[in-house]
Amino acid sequence: MSIIEVKNLKVWYPIRGGFFNTIKGYVKAVDDVNLSIEPGETYGLIGESGSGKSTIGKTIVGIERPTSGSIIYKGEDVTKGRNRKKLKYNRDVQMIFQDSLSSLNPRKRINDIIAEPIRNFEKLSKTEENHRVKELLDIVGMPKGSMYKYPFEFSGGQRQRIGIARAVSTHPKLIVADEPVSALDLSVQAQVLNYMQDIQKEFNISFLLISHDLGVVRHMCKNLSIMTRGRFVEVGTREDIYDRPQHIYTKRLLAAIPDINPRNRQEDTKERLRVEAEYENDEKAWYDKNHRVLDLKPVSGSNTHYAAVPESNSMVEQGGK
Amino acid sequence: MAEVEKSKLENQKNLGNEEVTPSTLKTIYREIIHDKWAMVSLFVALFIILFSIIGSFFINQDKLLTVDIFNSWLKPGQAGHILGTDNSGYDILGFLIVGARNSILMGVSLAILIESIGIFVGFISAYYGGIVDLIIMRIVDFFMIIPQTMAVITIVSIWKNYTPVNLVLLMAAMSWMSTTRLMRSLALSQRDRDYVLASKTSGTGNFKIIFREILPNISTFIITDFTLTLASMIGFEVTLSYLGFGLPDKVPSIGTLIGYAGDTNYMLTYPWGWLPALITLVILTVSINFFGQALRRAADARQRTA
Repeated sequence: MSIIEVKNLKVWYPIRGGFFNTIKGYVKAVDDVNLSIEPGETYGLIGESGSGKSTIGKTIVGIERPTSGSIIYKGEDVTKGRNRKKLKYNRDVQMIFQDSLSSLNPRKRINDIIAEPIRNFEKLSKTEENHRVKELLDIVGMPKGSMYKYPFEFSGGQRQRIGIARAVSTHPKLIVADEPVSALDLSVQAQVLNYMQDIQKEFNISFLLISHDLGVVRHMCKNLSIMTRGRFVEVGTREDIYDRPQHIYTKRLLAAIPDINPRNRQEDTKERLRVEAEYENDEKAWYDKNHRVLDLKPVSGSNTHYAAVPESNSMVEQGGK
Repeated sequence: MAEVEKSKLENQKNLGNEEVTPSTLKTIYREIIHDKWAMVSLFVALFIILFSIIGSFFINQDKLLTVDIFNSWLKPGQAGHILGTDNSGYDILGFLIVGARNSILMGVSLAILIESIGIFVGFISAYYGGIVDLIIMRIVDFFMIIPQTMAVITIVSIWKNYTPVNLVLLMAAMSWMSTTRLMRSLALSQRDRDYVLASKTSGTGNFKIIFREILPNISTFIITDFTLTLASMIGFEVTLSYLGFGLPDKVPSIGTLIGYAGDTNYMLTYPWGWLPALITLVILTVSINFFGQALRRAADARQRTA
């Protein structure tokens, strides 16, 4: 039983132009996407910049309006504001933002920032609330004194942990993490990700982890999707995608992961060039006339793995590597 | 024990504030201390404002406004009139003090009114955007093409027996637009920041987001705009009074005194009638403007000199 289900989601932005400012076309940020997240799991969403992954995240938490499609939570369609209000949806679904500085109001103390969702969704007395905030700061490894400070007094990693504390303050069921660590350096990334995993274990929270970092997603997620041009190209488990990639886009993406072993450098370069050449030669076959990604089809021999492969393609039979 | 805990927290709080970035008040303070002109201006403006407000309590207005044609146009220093008397034998100094108080109070209430309208309308327009923004901005455009002085004069000359409060409302109705536009642009720059989105996902209502989250972030700009609006509104009121369409006849204004300069004969023969008022007005508006400029620099880090 999945906690949230995204069905045929489309988010199109109109392009206006001409003398009468009429709609000339659409930017299809998200174009017919399906996705479901299980309780307690971390679902990965990978894609390059501008592929529409953040738009999916924002639509799920309800700050972006979909053009069509539905998001089902507890049997209700939460793309409608009325249903969101009725379910107190945002108590259960929260978000962690990429830019930790701009996501914290510079004029508010940490205390007020973390307590904001609590004040809106739960009725707690001042002392209870204070206690909860201290508890939350403790969970993300921040000293209690930081309650009375302002966001600019902290480093990027600390601010991101404050963002996490705010997101978990109402004990949500799902947190959309929009590139939570891509603005942090490597050691701090690991620290923040570990806090996220601890919290997941403690409260049984599901994460939708949006990232362009293949390593981070591999570390965190069991199931994941690869996204480009507003569409999913490949959906599957970690093993399906990292070990048996089907789509040329996925292959190209995986080939771009650097290898720390310098001995294989020349072979890696050769492999990368081969993948790149293949991508350039066959690109037309993998996308339709309008450069749209094809529909997802099940990959033979697996019930979790889907890829947007062309109708007849000998390469599919050959499999990944 | 609890006391100790509390003072410790207070300590931490203060330490935290001073160590990293100074508070808004501190930046303003520093900017003014650094700029000698701004400091002098602040004191001069405060002196004029306080002197006229406190001084007017000691002046008997009925006596001040008793016509005494035998003593008209007395020279300064004659018969106990320090700055002389005018056409109707009014004491110029007393008239100036009460007039300055009236003009300043008009300016302050106008500035408060205009800022409030500007913040409210501008924020609503920017935050909701789309069709709301379109409609509000077209209304603003409509008011902008009305020549404000002419419009007020026309309405005042039709309207018999208007009170100073009516005049304030009328003047505000003709001059709220530029502040509204400024507030809209400031709110637009904040609207799509992540902290606003975070507040939305935290379940905070729109009005609370507008006035509790966005407003504090642009408060410095509001203070700055307030001072500049104040100066220009005092000028506007004085202009109207000078032209004879300002405050009702029995209510003195600086502009009434400056009005004597409108008659060439009076202007040359009785300079004490209009000169003190003019000097007071120039000093007051210039010093408010200087102070406002310092505030503006404090609000915008790139313009700061301290």
